[in-house]
Amino acid sequence: SGELYCSLPNPRNVHFESINMKNVLHWSAPEGTGDGVFYKVKYAVYGVGKWIRKPECRNINRTWCDLSSETSDYEEQYYASVKAFLNGTCSEWMETTRFNPLTDTKIDPPMVSVSSTDRSISIILTAPEKWKSSPEEESISLLQVYPGLQYNVSVLNKRTKKRWFFSISNNTLVVPWLEPGTAYCVSAQIHVTTPILDSGFSK
Amino acid sequence: LSTAEIRAGFTAIKAKIQSRDPIRSLSILNHPQSLHKVKSSDRCCITHQLFTFYVDKVFKHCRTEDSFVNRKISSIANSFLSARRKLGQCREQNNCVCGEESTEKFKQILANYEGLNVTSAAMKSLGELDILLDWMEKSR
Repeated sequence: SGELYCSLPNPRNVHFESINMKNVLHWSAPEGTGDGVFYKVKYAVYGVGKWIRKPECRNINRTWCDLSSETSDYEEQYYASVKAFLNGTCSEWMETTRFNPLTDTKIDPPMVSVSSTDRSISIILTAPEKWKSSPEEESISLLQVYPGLQYNVSVLNKRTKKRWFFSISNNTLVVPWLEPGTAYCVSAQIHVTTPILDSGFSK
Repeated sequence: LSTAEIRAGFTAIKAKIQSRDPIRSLSILNHPQSLHKVKSSDRCCITHQLFTFYVDKVFKHCRTEDSFVNRKISSIANSFLSARRKLGQCREQNNCVCGEESTEKFKQILANYEGLNVTSAAMKSLGELDILLDWMEKSR
């Protein structure tokens, strides 16, 4: 393919980092190389296999490349690959393992909004949205992507340090019989039963 | 039909299994058409056919030199066996009609499988379990 003789060490740890299906390819520079290394990136759909170059990540010197648009169909699986160039020589193409956006993404905690009366707290939870390429694009809640999505909610009495845990499938929860004039801390986590995915707890 | 157990077993060996499948350009389950395109009315039938496919054709050809992987494969196979039994009951009660589309789709899957040597085909099929599980869970 007219490429140079490739004696440069390979890029290392080529992998996807994904949050809410914003899928970014990351890698480490080849061992022992300082500045001046440039990279090319390509990706392939599993089952199709044809490599497709990513023009926006051609001859870049950073060590990441956002492939969210190219991997947005979460019914497909993908590979990506990186090649390094330095002073007229190059490395081999280094590939990721097979990337499945549905199971290999991380999920942000839900948004938590709380209102209260003197003896109860009402909690409304909102699941994060799937990454989208532009604000005009239709929003897809991760609730639509993961039918088995549930919420784990923790309510802490800050004075007695007593904590309650609730696991709910719908997005609202009312906690009654609380002590008037007492501070409570509410935190929530997303739990997907299958594939097994857990977000962190909200602040 | 709880897929959580199968999913957990597969997740534990996914990287090791998929790394044994170097062929990126062919998918057994998703080629040329995605499993997600199967009509809902045909879903029960193709699920039963696929469970039979994995039990009869795939698992027996997936032995590896890694005992941990082998144990996980046999536990997945046992889950498939009991799931197929349940689906068989559906078929007997005639709730699992096989339409033209699922018959065609299953023919394509067998053709993809037979297009490779048996060990490669079995390992590739095993590596695609998440495609099957994603489809089953999404279409629930």
